[in-house]
Amino acid sequence: MPLEPKPNGETEEVRAWRRKRFRILVCVNGTEESYQALRFAAEIGRSKECDIILAYVRPTDQGLRTGGLQIRVARENMLDWGLELPGVKYLRKGLELLVEAGHMEHEWDSIHTHTDVWGDPLGDNKIEYQHEDGKSIVLKLKTAPDIVSGILDQYELGPYNLMALGQPSRWQGEFRSFWDAGVAQKVAMLSPCSVLVARENSQAKGHLICTDGTERSLDSMKRAAVLAHHCKSPITLFTVSRDHESKQQAEETINNARSMLSELGIGVVAEKIGVGDPTEQICHAGEDFAMITVSDSGKSRLKRFLVGSVAFGVMGRAKTSVLNVR
Amino acid sequence: MRERKKFWADWGQSLSDITLVSDSLRAHPPSGAWFLRVRRRGYQRMLVIHTQFNLYYFWEKRWFFVAMAVGAFMLTLPLPEGLSRDAMIVLTMSVVATILFVTEPVPLPTVALLIVAGQILLLKIDSTTVARSLMTDSVLFIMGSLMLAVAIVKQKLDKRIAWLIVKVTGTKTANICFGISVVSGVLASFIGEHTVAAMMLPVGIILISLTSEDVSKVRGLAAVLLFSICYGCSVAGIGTPSGGARNAIMIGYWKEFFYDPTNPETHRFLIDYLKWMTYAYPMFLLQLPLVTVVLFFTFKPEYRDLTRPVARLRGQVRRDGPMKPGHWVTILFFILILISWIFLSEEIGMGTVAIIGAAAFLIAGLVKWEDLNSGVNWGVVLLYAAAISLGVQMKDTGAALWIAESFLRLLKPFGADHGIGLWISVSALTTGVTNTMSNGAAVAVLGPIVLKLAVAAGESPIVLGFVTAVSSAFAYLTVVGTPACTIVYASGYLKTTDFLNVGWRMVLVSVVVMLLAASVYWPLLGA
Repeated sequence: MPLEPKPNGETEEVRAWRRKRFRILVCVNGTEESYQALRFAAEIGRSKECDIILAYVRPTDQGLRTGGLQIRVARENMLDWGLELPGVKYLRKGLELLVEAGHMEHEWDSIHTHTDVWGDPLGDNKIEYQHEDGKSIVLKLKTAPDIVSGILDQYELGPYNLMALGQPSRWQGEFRSFWDAGVAQKVAMLSPCSVLVARENSQAKGHLICTDGTERSLDSMKRAAVLAHHCKSPITLFTVSRDHESKQQAEETINNARSMLSELGIGVVAEKIGVGDPTEQICHAGEDFAMITVSDSGKSRLKRFLVGSVAFGVMGRAKTSVLNVR
Repeated sequence: MRERKKFWADWGQSLSDITLVSDSLRAHPPSGAWFLRVRRRGYQRMLVIHTQFNLYYFWEKRWFFVAMAVGAFMLTLPLPEGLSRDAMIVLTMSVVATILFVTEPVPLPTVALLIVAGQILLLKIDSTTVARSLMTDSVLFIMGSLMLAVAIVKQKLDKRIAWLIVKVTGTKTANICFGISVVSGVLASFIGEHTVAAMMLPVGIILISLTSEDVSKVRGLAAVLLFSICYGCSVAGIGTPSGGARNAIMIGYWKEFFYDPTNPETHRFLIDYLKWMTYAYPMFLLQLPLVTVVLFFTFKPEYRDLTRPVARLRGQVRRDGPMKPGHWVTILFFILILISWIFLSEEIGMGTVAIIGAAAFLIAGLVKWEDLNSGVNWGVVLLYAAAISLGVQMKDTGAALWIAESFLRLLKPFGADHGIGLWISVSALTTGVTNTMSNGAAVAVLGPIVLKLAVAAGESPIVLGFVTAVSSAFAYLTVVGTPACTIVYASGYLKTTDFLNVGWRMVLVSVVVMLLAASVYWPLLGA
């Protein structure tokens, strides 16, 4: 990986440079689970080729509801008192967490950027900490009409390899998600890159990597295994057979997956096969692991609605963190 | 097997040359070729289409089209019995305006513009007559009050007020909360809740953040302090006509509907500043201690004593030095305006006092016109002007009377067509409506109906008018119910469910206090 300095020029140049980096977008909202997402990101992002972007998205202030003197005045007053907005506080806590994790031991340059946003006194604010080897940690206080579009808009500004969010407050079924999906669910549905939904499960260790033997799933499995190997996390392979008759096929899938990884030089500590409903089996088997990795099936929303999606089911129902690989 | 071969063709690598960037999770291009964009699913696809064809516009504005379709449908319906053509048009305009108030697909002042256009084009009223009906003393009063609010907030008296509160209340959490409610309430009763909430929010936040930086450790404390501000302001909004635009709107309706200069009997419908205060201020004072009781009953603050944060707050305020001459002049102007409202409004009108007050602040150089211009939401002034004008049309065409009579027929089987049953029904209707739209708009829409309802039911229009105006302040349940709620919610310390948790208790307490006033106190005043 060439450690060339970051270009300051045109957007396209910056984007091309970003594509040579492993970029993680962590969305913090002050909850413990969102910091858990950051801890995962800190674990993954130790190497020089990784950038961590911490974002807090704040909905734009409403207008007429406040009948004349808008929230703007309240915000200006708060700034006059030297008070920090909640977003700033959460980002600062995130940065402290990264410092504790040993991410910022050396000298870092910092660059402040402000972008005006119509109708909001604060706009978008960004502090980018850059190390001379090209690694950067970014704190971004973003303003958007709603949180989901803010997060997706952030993706448009530069591709990311991974988006990490805290545990969703609600996760609806496919039908209800048409009108009542929470932030994490909407992001999971729309994000072009892999999504990590983090949950508190401090006792658990290791990655449970699930595969169903399809080409797409095997590719995701390998990518997830590289990530787990990079984090020095023990890997357990998992597959599910619908019934006892097809168990032999599941064994073949697992053997196939294991040998693929072993030829790459990535070791597997255990293999497991569940029998029954894939979503239930994966959620149950994953309870003792720090992270379950599932492959996104790439189904359209209509298809997910008609036949369901294991990956989405696991993301919503698991008791531990879930990485949906795309 | 074929699958496996293909796999190794792509992955002919060993651990030594795999990297996180190229072999782990992939970063897909955010905006690739057009066919990639088309492949995006659901919401993302919608956003992309939005940027290219702007079809999203139709989704975003769907309620506008729904409202227009409802309007067009209503106009094609055969006329119900007892309703004239013009009354049907006004009724249709009110229904469309209500849908737009609740769903807000277009900026609210647009509704005002549409109301004006509708009166000219559909009702065939002369444009000069419509334009004239837009500016009344009530509208002038709303405009002047908003300007005064900006002028007062600009003086940055918030730290002085915070200092005054803790000086009087001491350091007990309950006392501080009550102090905050009293100060927020008394101020909000004169200059409007949104201004005071914006001014007091930093006071609450500074006390919370000086107590603990960890939000999870001060959840209960944050709730009692912040709700003391917003509910203190909310219960106060009814206290005086300048407490909220809705009060001025109701005063305007009473005059418009019932006042006849040639009939001395109708003079009681001219409600001036002092008369309103006599009716409503005791209610506000009675509710103030109940706010603190309800809050402490609902939330359990983690800290019962705030000695440390109060000491630090004191230090902050001291750093600002003594009061500046501008502060004293502001207080003097404020007192003079209050006295004028109380003693002169009957003669020269409340609106006149408000605009003279605003002019005084400008002449004294305490506020710049640019500040007033950017701080006052002129759209609100326009909105209320048009809403009042539409309300008057509802009376003139008989639409208000028709709805009132229909509503009364609906209530009759439940025995709620008179007395306390009717009050509760009107109060419930207003509370429901005000929780979904701005309280001024709620009173503007419901006012004409309720006043005609009072006439049809043989009840006092003053009592039912007050019940409507007062109930419109019961928007405790949602974040968007009142400006004060929206402002404290913006601090980030509260959850939306907190509003529901404590809100229903507040509604209950307020309804009981109001019914007590309506049945015992207001009749004593000759209502």
